[in-house]
Amino acid sequence: MKNDNLVVTKELSKVYSSGKIEIVALRDVNLSIKEGIFLGITGSSGSGKSTFVNLLGGLDTASSGTINVGGKFISELDKGELAHYRRHYVGMIFQSFNLISSYTALENVAFPLLFANVPKKERNKRSEEMLEKVGLQSRKEHRPSELSGGEQQRVAIARALINKPKILLADEPTGNVDSRTSSQIMQILSDLNQNQDLTVIMISHEESLLNEFADDIIHLSDGAIVDKESE
Amino acid sequence: MRISDYIEQSCSNLWKMKLRTFLTIFGVVIGIGALVSMFAFGKGMQKNITDTFGDLGLMNYISVYPRSNNDFGRIITGDPDSPGYIPTEENYDKEVRLLDDDFVQQLVAVEGVEIAFPEIRFPAMVRFQDDEEFNIIQALPSDVCKSGFIKIREGSFYDTDMEESLLISDSLIQRLGVEDYKSAVGEQIEISTIAFDFSLENIPNILSFLQGDGLPFTSKNYKFTIAGVIERMGMSGPVPMRSDILIPSGISENMKKIPITNISDIFQNMKGTQGYSMVGVKLEDTQYIDSVKKWIEDSGFRTFALVDQLEEIKTVFIFMDVFLFAVGMIAITVASLGIINTLVMSILERYKEIGIMKAVGASDSDVKKIFLFEAGLIGFWGGVFGLILGWIVGILINLVANILLTRQGAPYMNYFRFPLWLCFGAIIFSILISLTAGIYPTIRAARVDPIVALRHD
Repeated sequence: MKNDNLVVTKELSKVYSSGKIEIVALRDVNLSIKEGIFLGITGSSGSGKSTFVNLLGGLDTASSGTINVGGKFISELDKGELAHYRRHYVGMIFQSFNLISSYTALENVAFPLLFANVPKKERNKRSEEMLEKVGLQSRKEHRPSELSGGEQQRVAIARALINKPKILLADEPTGNVDSRTSSQIMQILSDLNQNQDLTVIMISHEESLLNEFADDIIHLSDGAIVDKESE
Repeated sequence: MRISDYIEQSCSNLWKMKLRTFLTIFGVVIGIGALVSMFAFGKGMQKNITDTFGDLGLMNYISVYPRSNNDFGRIITGDPDSPGYIPTEENYDKEVRLLDDDFVQQLVAVEGVEIAFPEIRFPAMVRFQDDEEFNIIQALPSDVCKSGFIKIREGSFYDTDMEESLLISDSLIQRLGVEDYKSAVGEQIEISTIAFDFSLENIPNILSFLQGDGLPFTSKNYKFTIAGVIERMGMSGPVPMRSDILIPSGISENMKKIPITNISDIFQNMKGTQGYSMVGVKLEDTQYIDSVKKWIEDSGFRTFALVDQLEEIKTVFIFMDVFLFAVGMIAITVASLGIINTLVMSILERYKEIGIMKAVGASDSDVKKIFLFEAGLIGFWGGVFGLILGWIVGILINLVANILLTRQGAPYMNYFRFPLWLCFGAIIFSILISLTAGIYPTIRAARVDPIVALRHD
C-alpha cells in the first residue's frame, strides 16, 4: 500500500495579491506522498506549511500547478466538487480545535455527516462509536468549554474521521496542549496511521515529535521544499 | 442535507438567539398584521356592499326619471348625455312626457319587469310618545315592501294598502327615544302632514297669506300602528326605500299632503305638471337590465341602474386595495430590513462556524440553504402570528365600530372579512418576503472564505 502515490503535486504555487503587492506563499512545490504514510511538515512561520495543507484539503485553490489526489486533479474541481472532496476524502484538525462552541461533543462529531445526507439516527450512532474510539464516550453531552484541550482535540479528531477519509490533515494539532496531552494525541494519530492505513499529513514546529512518529518529514522555507528526510 | 435537517438546523440556530429572533419575527408580525387587517377591511366592506345589493335585490333595480334640463319642466328629446349636446329650442318637445300611472302600467307589461312603482314622498312631523321629528314619509305598496328590498328586524310588513299601519326604521325609532326597538311594534304613532288649504275652514291662514304674513297651510293628524321595525337602507341615492317611515300607498292617497321633497318638485308643481319624480322598477333577473333600460330610454325617460354604480364602486375598491397594500408594504419593508439585519448579524457572529461548515464538507449551496431556511422560518412564524394579530385587530375594531354605530341605529355589520385565500396568502407572502430579504445575507454567507473564517476569533 505504501508504495502507491496518493498525493502528487506538480509545480504547485500559491500567490496572494494585496493591491499591487504579491506575496508568494508556495513556490513550485513538487511532491509525491505515498498512501498510508505519516508525513511531517515543518518550517518556520510564514514558510507556507498551512497554505500547502489548505490546498491539499481543498479549502484553497492553487494559483498554478496541479494537485492529484487518488488520481483526481483537485486543482481542476469546481466549488461543489471541492465540497464533496472535503466531505469524503480528507479530514482536518487544527491547532485551535475549531469546534462549534454551542454544540455538544456528539453534535460536533456528527456535524460533517449532516452534509453527507446521513439520517439523524445513523449520525448519532456513528458519532458515539467514534467518540468511544477516542475514549470520550462519557463526555458526549459536554460542550467544548467543559472539555480540556486534549479532549477537545480528540473530539476534533473524531469529527475529522467520521466520514472515513483517506487523508488526515493536521495543522499543528499539539500546539495548544501540554506535552503529556501532546504525546497522547500523537499516539492516536500514529495508531490511526498504522492500524487503519490512514495517510496522515501533519504540520508541527516540534521536530522531535515528528522525528518520533513521522515516516517522512519535509522542511519548507519561503514556500519551497528545502529538505526532505525519510526514516 | 435533508429538508428535515435544514429545518432542525435553522430552528436550533434561531433558538440560540431567542431575543433577536423574537424581535425580528415581531417586526414581521406587525407588518403582516397591518397588511392582513387592511386587506380584510377592504374585503369586508366590499362584501358588505355587494351583499347588500344582492340581498335586497338592488342588482335588479332600475330608477326611472323624467327627462329634463335645468329649465325646470322643459323636456328634452335629444340625449343630454351625448357628447357635444347643445340644448337648443329644437331639442325641446312641446309636449311634456310625464312619469304617470299610464307609463307605470305600460312598464309592468314589459318583459322582465316584476314590479314598477312610483316614488311618493312627502314631508310630515312624526310623533311617538313624547318625542317628535320632522321627516319625509314614503308611500310604498305592500307588495313592493314584501318583494325583498326591505329587511324587517321586528314585527311584520303591512298586509294591504289600506291598512292604517306603517313600517319604521330602527334608526328613527331609536332617535325617538326607544332603546329597545322591538318594544315599538304594535304601538301607536302619529303623523302630522301639511297641505295647501283654500277651504272656508282655513280662512284665517288664507287672510294672513294674502297680507304677506304666513302660508295657507293646514295641518292634519293621522294615527298609525307600527306594524314592523325595518333595517335602514345604509345608503342614499336611487334606492327603493329612501325614508325612515313607509306607509301603505292606498292610505297615502287619501291623506292631505304636499307631495314635494325637494326644490325641483316645487317648480314642477308650479308648471302644473303632475307626474311622479321617480318610478322604481324591479326586474325578474339582471339579464333584463339592458333591454328594459333601452325600452324606458326609448320611451323618453332617463334611467339609473345601481348595477352600473356597482361597477364604479368596484373600481374604487381596486384603488382602495392598492392603497391599503401600499400602506401595508411600508410595514413589510421595515420588517424586511429587520430580517436582513438579523441575518447579517448572525453571519458575523457565526463567521467561524461557517468556516467550520465548509471545512467539514458543506457546499456553498448548503450554507445558503441553511440561512434561507432561517429567513423562511422567520417569515413563516411572522406570517402565522401576523395573521392572528390581524384577526384580533379586526375583531376589536369590529366590536368597537359596531358598539358605536349600532347606537346610532346602524345595523350590525362585519367590517372585516378573512377569506381563506387571504389567510394562506398572508403566510406565503410573508415567507416570500422573508426569503427575498434573506437573499443578500445568504449570498454573503456562501462567500465566506473558510481559511479566513477558521482563523477568526
